[in-house]
Amino acid sequence: MPEDINRSDCFTVDGKLALPYTYFAGKVGSKFITTLRDQKKILGVKCKTCNKVFVPPRQSCALCMEDIRENWVELKNEGEVSNYTVVRYDDKHLPRKAPFILAMIKLGGADTSMAHILEGIRPEEVKIGLKVKPVFARETTNTILDIDHFEPL
Amino acid sequence: MSEYFGVRVEDLFKTMPDRFRPEGAEGIDASFGYDIAGEGKWKLTVKDRKMKVQKTPDLSGCVTVTATDGETFVGINLGKVDAMKAFSSGKFKVEGDFGALAKTGKMFRKYVPPKKEFTTKEYILDMFGTLEKRFQPARAEGLEAFIGYDIAGEDGGKWTAVIQGGKCVVKEGLRENLSVKLQAQAADWVALMLGKIDALSLLSAGKAAIAGDAKLALKLGEIFSPYVPPGEKAAEQELIVLRKTISVNQRFATGPVMGKFLKALKEKKILANQCPQCGRLQLPPREVCAACRVRATGWKEVGPNGHLMVMDVVYYASPDPLTGETRETPYGSIHVLLDGCKGHETFWHLLRRDQIFQVKEAWGEERGTRLRPVWAEHRTGSIHDIQYFEIDG
Repeated sequence: MPEDINRSDCFTVDGKLALPYTYFAGKVGSKFITTLRDQKKILGVKCKTCNKVFVPPRQSCALCMEDIRENWVELKNEGEVSNYTVVRYDDKHLPRKAPFILAMIKLGGADTSMAHILEGIRPEEVKIGLKVKPVFARETTNTILDIDHFEPL
Repeated sequence: MSEYFGVRVEDLFKTMPDRFRPEGAEGIDASFGYDIAGEGKWKLTVKDRKMKVQKTPDLSGCVTVTATDGETFVGINLGKVDAMKAFSSGKFKVEGDFGALAKTGKMFRKYVPPKKEFTTKEYILDMFGTLEKRFQPARAEGLEAFIGYDIAGEDGGKWTAVIQGGKCVVKEGLRENLSVKLQAQAADWVALMLGKIDALSLLSAGKAAIAGDAKLALKLGEIFSPYVPPGEKAAEQELIVLRKTISVNQRFATGPVMGKFLKALKEKKILANQCPQCGRLQLPPREVCAACRVRATGWKEVGPNGHLMVMDVVYYASPDPLTGETRETPYGSIHVLLDGCKGHETFWHLLRRDQIFQVKEAWGEERGTRLRPVWAEHRTGSIHDIQYFEIDG
């Protein structure tokens, strides 16, 4: 930026955007959530063509485009951290106070990872490959937070 | 002892101890009588989060006596008869303290009739009896096939599903020239159809065999919808809908150029900035001339009055990105050619709502209705320091 710019006219305006909306989880997403909530089981869907298991579930295979919505498979209630990040700032849309760990977790039986909160371990101690298990929420909200968080096995 | 909706009155009373919810009986200390016409009388006693139910002719000491017939009683318990309707039509009568009875509503879990187990033979007959109905023509477009089912054992049988011209006809016996033949024991076939075992396990254990077009065999699960035993409805799925309001913190940084423009609005001045190379005015101003791509350094006060050029009448407002609020519709979204500007150097704003159908638009060298800004009393350095434009004169 050139040096001669006069910044005396700069100012900021704070706003708060409030947007009402309706989110429909869809049939596939609803079954995933209700099974989590009621049976404490994590379901994926398996493509019959390429045998890949997707979680969170989806209607069609990302690779083959096959319709896979009916082909549910139950995943293990344990998995491993395939990647992670440490959230180091606070904002009200975030599910925890900073610092907290957001991990990509590959459950046993799945070919994809799902993002979730990792607790019970210090950020500097997390390693890729760490074995973890879900802790289900006591109070359910019909969201992915019906798994409250994951923690080391 | 008749059955109503497949359930006996007795079943409801016998299962009461299993269905009892102590937390629903909190604070209830009373006996309730049930007089079911033609079936008998029962007395339910509740005290200290415990209950007892007995069949007895003596209903003395009950705070309420419910008198009804078996069909209404079972129907209400299963949710097949509307309680209020039965009550108002006199089929369901309550003597005594109605309020006390109302408290018992949370005392029992709903009665769920036990599943009646079919025999293997009955399942097999029902499965092939419903095969034609379960055929999904949309998923078998252009398919012509003879699918043979060779179900072994004394409960078994042989069937052929003939799929032709978008229709499926099931015949007894195996036809010649089958496209594919499926073989299994009757019990295994039933387990497979009920989803208790998967095809792969059966095949790998040698308990089932596929002869012919194996690819077609794998597609059968699509061509035919899943078998649902009689009396069981395919469960209605709970669908998740969340109603939320997203609330996002926003911070808009003006930068020096937009900052100067907005600050001038506080003083009821409209400033355009000017390209040193081509002389164009930009309104609102921007850091760089959009045509010449050089820093637009000049400033010129324009307006505040001008001519309407183009207006959109907006019926579906998009939210304000800073607040999420939407304007009242319809409103006029206008481009005003302020005095001192020319050509396309128009300024966007709003038109007074009651005037949107009283103004004239214009193109090219023509000029539309003469307008003037209406300033806000308290100005903060925002585009809303001008409330709107209105007809001048």
